[in-house]
Amino acid sequence: MPSEVTPSTNNHDFILTALRQNLRLDSRPLDTYRPIDLTFSSDPDTYGQTDVRIGKTRVLCNISCEVGAPYPDRKFDGVFTISCELGPMGSPAWEVGRQDQTEIILSRILEKTVRRSGALDTESLCIVAGQKCFHLRADIHILDHDGNVLDAACFALMAALLHFRRPDVSIEGEEVTVYSVREREPVKLTMTHHPFCITTSFYPSRQGSDDDLISVLDTTLQEEQCRTGSLTISLNRHGEVCNIAKYGGVGIEGLSVLTCVNASLEKAKMFDRLLKERLAEDEKARQAKIGAMGLELSAENERVMERPVG
Amino acid sequence: MTTPGVLLPGEVVPQSALPATKKGTLTLGPGLHHVPPSTISATTTGSLQTDNKKGAIWLETSHGRYQPTVGDHVIAQIHHSSTESYSCILTPHTPYAILGQLAFEGANKKTRPQLKSGDLVYARVSKTKIECFNSATGKSEGMGPLKAGMTFSVTPSFARRLMMGTSKDGQAKGGVVVLEEAGEKVRFEVAVGRNGKVWIDSSTARETIVIGGLLVRADEEGWGVEMQRKMVKKVLRDV
Amino acid sequence: MPLDTSTYALAHLRLDGRRWNELRRLHAQISTQAAADGSSYLEQGNTKVLCTVSGPQEQKGGRGGARDQGNEAKVDVEMNIAAFSGMDRKRRARSDKRVQEMQVTIASAFQSTLFTHLFPHSTITVTLHILSQDGSLLAACLNAATLALIDAGIPMSDYISSVTVASAPSSDQSLDEMDPLLDLNGLEEQELPFMTVGTCGRGPGGGEEKVMVLVMETKVQMARLEAMLSVGIDGCKQVRGILDGVVRSHGKRVLESKVS
Repeated sequence: MPSEVTPSTNNHDFILTALRQNLRLDSRPLDTYRPIDLTFSSDPDTYGQTDVRIGKTRVLCNISCEVGAPYPDRKFDGVFTISCELGPMGSPAWEVGRQDQTEIILSRILEKTVRRSGALDTESLCIVAGQKCFHLRADIHILDHDGNVLDAACFALMAALLHFRRPDVSIEGEEVTVYSVREREPVKLTMTHHPFCITTSFYPSRQGSDDDLISVLDTTLQEEQCRTGSLTISLNRHGEVCNIAKYGGVGIEGLSVLTCVNASLEKAKMFDRLLKERLAEDEKARQAKIGAMGLELSAENERVMERPVG
Repeated sequence: MTTPGVLLPGEVVPQSALPATKKGTLTLGPGLHHVPPSTISATTTGSLQTDNKKGAIWLETSHGRYQPTVGDHVIAQIHHSSTESYSCILTPHTPYAILGQLAFEGANKKTRPQLKSGDLVYARVSKTKIECFNSATGKSEGMGPLKAGMTFSVTPSFARRLMMGTSKDGQAKGGVVVLEEAGEKVRFEVAVGRNGKVWIDSSTARETIVIGGLLVRADEEGWGVEMQRKMVKKVLRDV
Repeated sequence: MPLDTSTYALAHLRLDGRRWNELRRLHAQISTQAAADGSSYLEQGNTKVLCTVSGPQEQKGGRGGARDQGNEAKVDVEMNIAAFSGMDRKRRARSDKRVQEMQVTIASAFQSTLFTHLFPHSTITVTLHILSQDGSLLAACLNAATLALIDAGIPMSDYISSVTVASAPSSDQSLDEMDPLLDLNGLEEQELPFMTVGTCGRGPGGGEEKVMVLVMETKVQMARLEAMLSVGIDGCKQVRGILDGVVRSHGKRVLESKVS
């Protein structure tokens, strides 16, 4: 059965009644996210692998890069592709190889939010114009689907991009040398801004009327299945909106779109702060590890020095 | 009941753990496999349970999908109806369970309940179908359509523990006291389905959410009896 | 190819001579295809779309079991972008994500305005043929689909009308403000940040128009959204008026031919 099981009438009605009383099943306020957890790969040589959990939703993002030829019509740009994988691991409703609506929307919104908005400076991926550039690839895997995959995937992708380091290169005349991580300190990607996706879901506040809508952030899967419409806004902390997507669903007033944008700005700032914090923590942990390794190395050197004296 | 410990697949049940009965016969339950002449090994992971009186031994597991067994009470969701029967969902992404249109208490062609897609029923698994009445007596015995309320998902083993009831000395056999403890503070209706569904209805949405939340957390976080008592008191104080 | 938008500031006129809040010529016809249950042909400037609707009809079997869970009709949208429709001849693959996204958008927009619950277990198929592209593609498709669905006689709460709106540097250069521009052509679309707004009326006296579709994919400052959105909603009203005129004149013609 490919389609997701829809909630029973009882659950559907109960969720709506509860929302109308400002209550959610997990007892959190309507405009609050579930606990967000972000972890990076613990291997000090691995960069750009993130694991994001928002409640029970879990998304893994991995960035990889290799040297290749740029597109002939974009000689000065590197290549950056985002690929989303929605397999049966995330939800039994997803089958391998069969595209469904969630995947189309997910990949399009990430594309618009991160690629089209120029969050990653692709020119910095160019090595020799028209001949060599870095191909950057972001693989996003939804490991567990409990609603709000979009926000989680976008956060995972941004975190991975900011964490990733590409190998350093040097050019001498015609010759290009790509240094491994051991040889030279890898280089961070050039990011121009940090956009995040925020999805607001809408619920009718009265039976059979679309006039007043209850807006809810970070919905769980059950809540998502009961919603009558949603609006995804991607913006960075400076209030630059790079994507708005409302694909049908219940009609909303122009004014409430603007209210949503304002509310989303707060959440984008929250995501931004959280990401900065975690990146700094990770940086510190990595430095400490390298520091410990450095000590070991120096101890070995000292022993060598002692020998001639003794 | 004693708990000699946890077994992994392939491990042999120690002779000392086998229940001794007068007749010397042994009844093997789920998760165990008899290798002649006298070895009993585990086929899944779980904790070993024995019943000395009946000479029974089985593994209590906490994983996996619900497998319908005759006599189990389940909460089923109507998917669609046909002339003879309703097709119901017991667990997601599995073939439908069949519920006869007339498998309700006192139902005939005119009085049978009209159920729509998405409605819930509390039913019992019979040999090939599910039914909302005891076919031997014709009584509903608490089964039938469930109105309003909310279902919460728990693991099948937790649902089993919830249904074990209390022993003579008032101890909960399954080690779950959330419902009993909460029942002292608030009034609510409950139906437990062995397919990992608990239906709760009370006068306010808030109470339903709180009780359901307690159950789900007790299941996920594996609370002991003491912890359950403490949390129920703590959470219900605020309601 | 960079577009010189600086002339706008001088003459208050856009490249094609329009003012900021002027629509392009919107010409539409309905019942153009005899074979379809409903059809329409719509020109919005040089963007030309042909739309046919078939259904509501019983679902074609074979997908996910014959019985669908829904008790309502499903709206299916197929988009066909002709290879000759753009500036350079290019075949768009069916799996193009951008096209798929538009299909999803149109399908879910109509899913909520059509009275789909009247047709359980059936499908309404909307097929859009894009004959020529010159900006505002999604908007033109939505408008054409509205007309074709009306022609097919499928009950709906109201028209969905749609238009694009951009934010351009202000005509008054002393101010650091932006002017919204209505109904973009292909060149403007490449140059300026823009969004597609689709609204649904609320019937007579039903209150304000509601935003059904809102798609933006270019970076823009938050503060500019308000102006863009209000101009967009206003533009949708204008488009709605034109579409309404088309339907009425067609209805009149049908009536007259019946009487005579």
